[in-house]
Amino acid sequence: MALIDAQKDYYAILGVTPDADDEAIKQAYRQGAREYHPDSGHGDVERFRQIQEAYEVLRDKALRLAYDRQRERRGLSENAPVVLELLQSRTTLAPLDVSQVVYVLVDIRPHSEQETASIRQHLNMALVVDCSTSMSGARIQNVKIAAADLLENLAPTDRLALITFNDRAEVLAPSELVENARNFKSAIASMIPGGGTEIYQGLLAGLNEVKRYAAADMVNHVILLTDGRTYGDELQSLREARQAASEGITISAFGIGEDWNDEFLDELARNGGGVSHYISSPSEVRTVLKQQIQGLCNIMLQNMKLEVNLAPYVHIRGAYRATPYLEILDFTGNVIKLGSLLLDEPVVVVLELIIEPSAIGERRIVRLDLVGDKAANAESVRLRQDVNVTFTLDVKEEPPPPKLINHLARLAVFQLQERAWKALGAGNVRQATQYLEYAATRLFDMGQRDLGQAAMLEVGRLSHGGDPTKEGRKKLRYGTRGLIAPVH
Amino acid sequence: MIHKGNKIICPSCGEENLIGTLFCVQCGTYLPSGGPLRTEPLPEQEEERPARPRQEGEEGKEERALNIEVEILNTGRKVLLSADREILVGRLDAAHGIFPELDLTTDGGLEQGVSRRHARIYTREGMCFVEDLDSTNGTFLNEERVTPYLPYAFRDGDLLMFGTMRMKVHIYSNR
Repeated sequence: MALIDAQKDYYAILGVTPDADDEAIKQAYRQGAREYHPDSGHGDVERFRQIQEAYEVLRDKALRLAYDRQRERRGLSENAPVVLELLQSRTTLAPLDVSQVVYVLVDIRPHSEQETASIRQHLNMALVVDCSTSMSGARIQNVKIAAADLLENLAPTDRLALITFNDRAEVLAPSELVENARNFKSAIASMIPGGGTEIYQGLLAGLNEVKRYAAADMVNHVILLTDGRTYGDELQSLREARQAASEGITISAFGIGEDWNDEFLDELARNGGGVSHYISSPSEVRTVLKQQIQGLCNIMLQNMKLEVNLAPYVHIRGAYRATPYLEILDFTGNVIKLGSLLLDEPVVVVLELIIEPSAIGERRIVRLDLVGDKAANAESVRLRQDVNVTFTLDVKEEPPPPKLINHLARLAVFQLQERAWKALGAGNVRQATQYLEYAATRLFDMGQRDLGQAAMLEVGRLSHGGDPTKEGRKKLRYGTRGLIAPVH
Repeated sequence: MIHKGNKIICPSCGEENLIGTLFCVQCGTYLPSGGPLRTEPLPEQEEERPARPRQEGEEGKEERALNIEVEILNTGRKVLLSADREILVGRLDAAHGIFPELDLTTDGGLEQGVSRRHARIYTREGMCFVEDLDSTNGTFLNEERVTPYLPYAFRDGDLLMFGTMRMKVHIYSNR
């Protein structure tokens, strides 16, 4: 009985198309076998063996069907919209009497050929702008320019609503098709800062506008722009974001300047299935917003989730998003929410698994199911991959894959500075200083002098009994988060 | 790796890490490297590095000498390197005292983006490592760009690329 290896492309090995009939497969096999037979002039034992293996599977109707299905589930067949690729730090483990660590890298990307010629997604969005007193001057001016740009960047059939908030929310322009939007320009001009910052009111008004026209085949999205902290309505806002996400509406949060609450906005975006960004200077608002819109148009999979099915002797120590930006992921209930997959931007997730002692033999340590909804037609997608390791006395000397090391190196730094802020929040200054020093060392090692210096600056302030600067904290959090693997 | 009992002791902060950990959970140091490798010896010092006292039984067991042969693909030149000491990869620059063991000047190193001090190759515990020295155009192992100052293990038949210069490595153990 032949064993199926879904990783191998049997059709390509035989040189036939996936829809080839039995006769064509037989022909191809005969020809290939004759050509590469070890006894023939230019024999190739390995090639010959592969051709035989491919034929063993494809000649048998049941096996071929099973093979096709496995390929599709793993995203390897041309029918699958997404490719799910796994890398693990080790494949063989010594049977020790202590726990061990195995890292698994999950690379999720759109199937290259199929999706390049895709259509642009339709947007149904609301722009929610903080109009508190602190937004006066350069900030509001740049937001106005960015909002006007937004109109240019949207398609005529997209929907946009404009909402401002301070102590209360005001719908300046209700949701309208961009081609009919005559009053947007005057609405933009009428944004005048004054008052406090109550994010919840603004968020609610924005969500309501989007909800009115929400459709499964559109990208329903709220963009929140703020420069301040909100007081007392964080929990309400987070609840609203979660609720919206479950209804298919995502939220992105952009913080301008240094005074906003980074943890809150991060969590708001995480609950809302979107992203959060740090805008250090007002002039960046335009570029960041434009990029965001382009990203939204390129969404191919929404509500992406990774279901992690662990063997009883395995548990997760950490789950991280490695690209497009670093994030510590929540793995409660062994379901990891991943938000959206963009056409041109793979999502890479790293799992850190603890393996308890186990007997010799090959075992499946985890089964991963990636689920999501296609943005184009709300059709659901499910892909499955298993991770196996072999417990053996004969452990292979296998260098961990370079790609995995690259991502882990960045995660290590990001985690160090996150721990520093956490320690600081708990009042443990000595511990925080230590973590920041470690982070600085690693940053200098990686050639990130700018961020390394930012970390050392905060170390200096802390060790002299000072408080860290808000700017330094944001620079480090969002700087280390944005550390990406070197590009070719 | 530096196993002690059934743990890996971080050489930088002393934290005990579970077997298989790649970055110390306490301080973020890369563990298979055997420690932080950030301090670069100056080229002059490299020349007159004192002979390390050899310990009994150390030979043969761990420090089995490896020979690394690199085949520079564009010129076809093959260089056999003895890995009993660190190999600097780069371009010769006598004025600054840079004398790489693997000098790529004559292979078109400048045109192909090889830095003067580009990377280093060394062996430890029978494994070969390559470490980029923050070169301008990067070092690639099997088409994947490596992070500067992190050692990456490579094996016989792997493809290394310095800047855009590609080479294939062959490793021979030499008993």
